[in-house]
Amino acid sequence: GELMDLIRTEGQRMTAAQPSETTVGNMVRRVLKVIREEYGRLHGRSEESDQQESLHKLLTSGGLSEDFRTPYPSLRANVIEAINEMLIELEGTTDNIAMQALEHIHSNEVIMTIGYSRTVEAFLKEAARKRKFQVIVAECAPFCQGHEMAVRLSKEGIETTVMSDAAIFAVMSRVNKVIIGTKTILANGALIAVSGTHTLALAAKHHSTPLIVCAPMFKLSPQFPNEEDSFHKFVSPQEVLPFTEGEILAKINVHCPVFDYVPPELITLFISNIGGNAPSYIYRLMSELYHPDDYEL
Amino acid sequence: PDAPRCLSDLIETFRAQLRDDPDVASAVAAIRALLGFLKQDRGETIQGLRNSLRDAIDTLSRVDSSVAVSSGGELFLRFISLTSLEYSDYSKCKEIMIERGEIFLTKVSLSRNKIAKLCHPFIRDGARILTHAYSRVVLRVLEAAVEAKKRFSVYVTESQPDEAGQKMAKALRKLNIPVTVILDAAVGYIMEKVDLVLVGAEGVVESGGIINKIGTNQIAVCAKAQNKPFYVVAESFKFVRLFPLNQQDVPDRFKYKADTLKTSQNLKEEHPWIDYTSPSLITLLFTDLGVLTPSAVSDELIKLYL
Repeated sequence: GELMDLIRTEGQRMTAAQPSETTVGNMVRRVLKVIREEYGRLHGRSEESDQQESLHKLLTSGGLSEDFRTPYPSLRANVIEAINEMLIELEGTTDNIAMQALEHIHSNEVIMTIGYSRTVEAFLKEAARKRKFQVIVAECAPFCQGHEMAVRLSKEGIETTVMSDAAIFAVMSRVNKVIIGTKTILANGALIAVSGTHTLALAAKHHSTPLIVCAPMFKLSPQFPNEEDSFHKFVSPQEVLPFTEGEILAKINVHCPVFDYVPPELITLFISNIGGNAPSYIYRLMSELYHPDDYEL
Repeated sequence: PDAPRCLSDLIETFRAQLRDDPDVASAVAAIRALLGFLKQDRGETIQGLRNSLRDAIDTLSRVDSSVAVSSGGELFLRFISLTSLEYSDYSKCKEIMIERGEIFLTKVSLSRNKIAKLCHPFIRDGARILTHAYSRVVLRVLEAAVEAKKRFSVYVTESQPDEAGQKMAKALRKLNIPVTVILDAAVGYIMEKVDLVLVGAEGVVESGGIINKIGTNQIAVCAKAQNKPFYVVAESFKFVRLFPLNQQDVPDRFKYKADTLKTSQNLKEEHPWIDYTSPSLITLLFTDLGVLTPSAVSDELIKLYL
């Protein structure tokens, strides 16, 4: 009990410091779930795979929720071991995702992506070893990370084209698949990704092009998009309109949002280290990773 | 001689519950009445108990034919079966059942508050909400939002033929929420002004769709056409094992009130009281089991009934 409260307070402090970095909160929740599981195992409970509320539990449980007050000396060692396992898993996520590349990319395909994502880079590199395909990268203004992505891909011998965000719709008719990375996956299957992804998703939907999201499981966050502006991060508008244009700046408002919200209907498939999943299945994955009492840190 | 008397007592307890506490959900009142019936049942076997309970549930549905009473009854029956599987000694079994029944009732009475806690963050400051007819759960959610110092305004549909919307408007005015009552036909007109739609449900079906007061389907279709989120709030005991594919599939015994079923000559001439809204029109369901997407509902039901 005390251990969980300690971790929870630390977690709250860290998430308050930078709310847009949801992975911090996600990891804290994973650790809390690990603690609960180890405690349950020691407490002698059978391996109940659902610690969730369910109708079944509503009817059969004998009492209200358990308290975590009995001390067990081996609990500490077990928890540390479980956390080490988790660390190993985290380090291997990019490789796991890249291994699935061959199933999804076929020869002579035109793939579209946006911005720079390490996961997508590894994914495409792995596929390039055996297949020949072309990649179109949207440059993702104003930071233009698309350029870096294109440089890295072409070093591997993949035929790459860079284009501006405005041309996304125009080129979409020639594209076979869209593969993107993301910052966070929300509980309803929606995405928070770099600015410009929503445009890409809408264009893909219009042309019925499959949209594949490559993201490791630690990006799955149990939050819902309840407040439209709660997840936004804005950076200095210097990138959009430089400070040298002083006269104009005095008369207009300039905003530079970093993230975009993509609703679940536009996404075809999530590829993560545990395999491919549909967006409507996200709730199931959440129940495996986190405990419902921890959703609100 | 014993049986009919017990059943009429049952009906009396059910009616009394609804009278004394108008805020209680009809399913909860049904379960409480069934628990009372269970306590004074004189049978010696599980099979006998199950039969008498089934008769009791039938009698209750003849009094109040809503989906909620039926799902509450099904859940109670399932509860009995699950408990009886664990203990072979009948009297011990019965004690455990009564004890667990009480715990179940306490949990269920907390469910509305749980839902309100989950749902009110979705109501932003300055939001305009559209709701349909009278729902106690929606009322509780809006109450929680007011307590959280949110400012919002509500449009309620009048919801003929029983004008339940007026009742809802009165309750909302008591909470100092600005309310406008609109005609059922004005939903398409008002949808562009609204930010989100929030309705209750009488029953949640296996596909993730809902059964609710007539007119809900229309509102859902308009909301989808204008890209407005359509949220449903329902307690978990309303989950029912139906899978309607269209409006005709909903059984007649739910569509019409109990008296109409008994007295009418030709059901085709009666107006139905409920309709079915398909899951593709629903954005999210708020239940005491958490915030669920419609696809998660069938998962929950399977976990229970398998």
